[in-house]
Amino acid sequence: MSISVNTLVKTYGTTPIVRDISFTVAKGEMVALLGPSGCGKTTTLRCIAGLEQADGGSIAIGGETVSDAARGLHVPVHERAVGMVFQSYAVWPHLSVAENVGFPLSIRHTPAKVLAERVDWALDIVGMRALKERQPSQLSGGQQQRVALARAIVGKPRVLLFDEPLSNLDAKLRDTTRAEIRRLQRELDVAALFVTHDQTEALSISDRVVVMDQGRIRQQGTPKQLYRFPENRFVADFIGAASFFDLTPAGEPGQWCIANGTVIRVDGVAPAGGGKLQGMLRPEVIQLLPANAGAASGATANTNTLPGRIVERHYLGALTEYVVEAGGTRFKVHSANDIDTEAVQLNFSSRDCQLVLADV
Amino acid sequence: MRVLYGLTFALVAALVLMPIGALVIGSLRTSAPGVPGEWTLANFAGLASAGVLGVMAQTLIIGVGTALVSVVIGTAIALVVHRTDFRFPNLATALIGLSFYLPSFILAMAWIIIGSPGGLINYAWGNLLGLPGKLDIYTMWGIVFVMVLHNVPFVYLTMRGPIIGMDSLYEEAARTSGATPAQVLRRITLPLLGYSIASSAILTFITSIEQFAIPALIGSPGRINVLATQLYLLCRFSPTDYGLAAAIGLVLSAITGLAIWAQRRVVSNARLATVGGKAGRLAPIPLGRWRWPAYILTFGFVMLALILPTLILIYTSVIKFFTANPLLAAYTWRNYVFIWESAATHSSFRNTILTSGIGAALGSALGFLVAYFSLRQRFQGARVLEFLANLPFGMPGVVIGLGLLWAYAYLPLPVYGTLAIIVIAYITRYLPYATETIGGQLVQIDKSLEEAAWVAGATRTSALHRILLPIAMPSVQSSFFLLFMAFFREISSAILLFTASTMVISISIWSFFDQANWGLASAMSIIAILIIFALMSLILWLLPAARRR
Repeated sequence: MSISVNTLVKTYGTTPIVRDISFTVAKGEMVALLGPSGCGKTTTLRCIAGLEQADGGSIAIGGETVSDAARGLHVPVHERAVGMVFQSYAVWPHLSVAENVGFPLSIRHTPAKVLAERVDWALDIVGMRALKERQPSQLSGGQQQRVALARAIVGKPRVLLFDEPLSNLDAKLRDTTRAEIRRLQRELDVAALFVTHDQTEALSISDRVVVMDQGRIRQQGTPKQLYRFPENRFVADFIGAASFFDLTPAGEPGQWCIANGTVIRVDGVAPAGGGKLQGMLRPEVIQLLPANAGAASGATANTNTLPGRIVERHYLGALTEYVVEAGGTRFKVHSANDIDTEAVQLNFSSRDCQLVLADV
Repeated sequence: MRVLYGLTFALVAALVLMPIGALVIGSLRTSAPGVPGEWTLANFAGLASAGVLGVMAQTLIIGVGTALVSVVIGTAIALVVHRTDFRFPNLATALIGLSFYLPSFILAMAWIIIGSPGGLINYAWGNLLGLPGKLDIYTMWGIVFVMVLHNVPFVYLTMRGPIIGMDSLYEEAARTSGATPAQVLRRITLPLLGYSIASSAILTFITSIEQFAIPALIGSPGRINVLATQLYLLCRFSPTDYGLAAAIGLVLSAITGLAIWAQRRVVSNARLATVGGKAGRLAPIPLGRWRWPAYILTFGFVMLALILPTLILIYTSVIKFFTANPLLAAYTWRNYVFIWESAATHSSFRNTILTSGIGAALGSALGFLVAYFSLRQRFQGARVLEFLANLPFGMPGVVIGLGLLWAYAYLPLPVYGTLAIIVIAYITRYLPYATETIGGQLVQIDKSLEEAAWVAGATRTSALHRILLPIAMPSVQSSFFLLFMAFFREISSAILLFTASTMVISISIWSFFDQANWGLASAMSIIAILIIFALMSLILWLLPAARRR
């Protein structure tokens, strides 16, 4: 494992920021640390970089333990040989592009010739070689971002750390830079940890996502696992839009009662851990039809059908978001169809309905 | 890194605590430092005597009077120059900037030559025009007058930033609500500037009650004393009373400390106020028929504070015997020849350049380290370091001089009577200015710039050296410039510390004037003014950073 975080704890004064979290990042793997602001994701990243000293647990990079609170071990940040891209880029304003990128090598007394070659190599990768003599003040935000990226990879670090590197870019640039970071990481075949609060970014860039909240990991898995099979309401809600509704067992396996007593079929199994369960439906898995449209196309024995009434419409361009009252609860539905009637029917497959742990 | 921190801490503690400690001990002894004596509280009882209380009252009246008048005039000039269609804003700023750098003792001397009973005005008034009555500058109001001339540029410079940087949004909103430009000024602009005005007034009050040269020169013939001059007299002239001097020094420090606390409160409240943000260009207020009063205010001030004093000093420096009538005067170059040939004045110039240059370099280096350790690397005790480094803000120059004089009388260190003790006094007094100048920029430098260097493999020390220092360099240069100019003009902290071999220019001028040798004092002042203005233009030309100040 290239990065291995084991029962990490970090507190500021008496406020716990990171409470006992463990995860790993394999060589060549890109993992996103996702969570709302203040959830401890950046602090975790800074502990790995060595910018913060952990209060508990241990961290290993490339198999070598760099931090172990129990043994009082804390390898200083400059000896950890990591590459890091900061949210504000942190491109030094008094050094040229080439000097910025060459800094990690010059600090290790790399011979001038090798240094120049490596700087060119790194700048080539990010497509900035032509601008190597520029000063940072002459660069756009996106270009500064590339300089920061080149500086992070020039020393061939064992791991790459990204602290919300895209949040200061405009939307278009964010998409292309994201793709580029992904390509770069695959090419270099290093472990990378990517901190973000943007779930689309996390899902699209990473092999695996670790979702954090209030200093704890709520779930980790591939983007698809997290989106389709969230274990709890927090993860389901944070990763995408969803409707949640209360359920009670209807006696038979796979059969559940919703608020008004209607029985629906649900294939998903209850996640481990116990506690109150809720049903979860993504808005795009529900088929919305006028009430008088008859049975849904492709309906099977697994299809649940609920009569309902549209209470809100939000036109979003590519689709319309409808809020539908059905079965004593409200569902969010995305549909490309324009539905003018108020009375509707909802159809959804038992396979698309998930059971999640309700948050207390 | 920790070693460096320890050294910085020890150095600052020694610089600041030694004079304070010596002062406290001195105030509790019956005899002069280094002489056997007993512990006593009598010195503090002595503070309650009618004489000392009178001096204290006089100090406060002069301080408050100077602050109020200076703030009104300084703010008015700043508003006229930067908020109206005043024709010569750059010329006004440049001239007021020059008068800011005119040393206080030179200004006071010039005004004594102009306004003393035997001076120019009275000659013209009585002898030429035959009018009755006499103007006498040797009064409390004379002191206030010269202090106002000395402090208005400071007020102008501190008010200029808030006035220029004010968000035009509020004024535009008032204009669209139907207010005339004059109403906007009265109802919106001035209230919004309230905190800045209050802060500037308190700072002026502090520099006025700390001021030594002006009351010493103008007040002594009429025996008008303030705390700072009283302290000096008690140390230098018999009957000496060192204990009482120390107690007065502590009282003076307490008053300034209190005023600084008040000013900090005002400034921290001001952060809640809405001045700041992006500066918009508001249409200037048309002066109309107020054009000439505006010129008279602005250029009249420059005339009294800069041009007239300089001309008078030039005149006095080239005449043989003082006469108020230029037609009767015998002209001579002998004062300049004397200065050119005298080994004593040579050494005085050399000493000034040495103390200012070395002192400013060391002071800025120390200021950088203090700012770094109190803002960036919060090691244990960083708050204590910050507090210690700010203490000299509350200590008037003469008080620091007195404290150091005694500290080295108690301690067996061969520093007394050397230039080193003068450099130490200068650095101690101006350490807070260096720290604040550099710290102001350090807080604006994103922490991640340094962190990026650590991640890239740099140790704390090499990140400091290769990243932070180069980025913060403009502020270090500004600090050097600020300290150099301050040290060059400094007199109050050196007045108790100099010896014949460690004279600096300010002290030399002072002694010439004290010996009633107005010619030499004037000639030397003119040379000092020329050097100051030449250095200023040189520094402004060399250091782009200094231009922002």
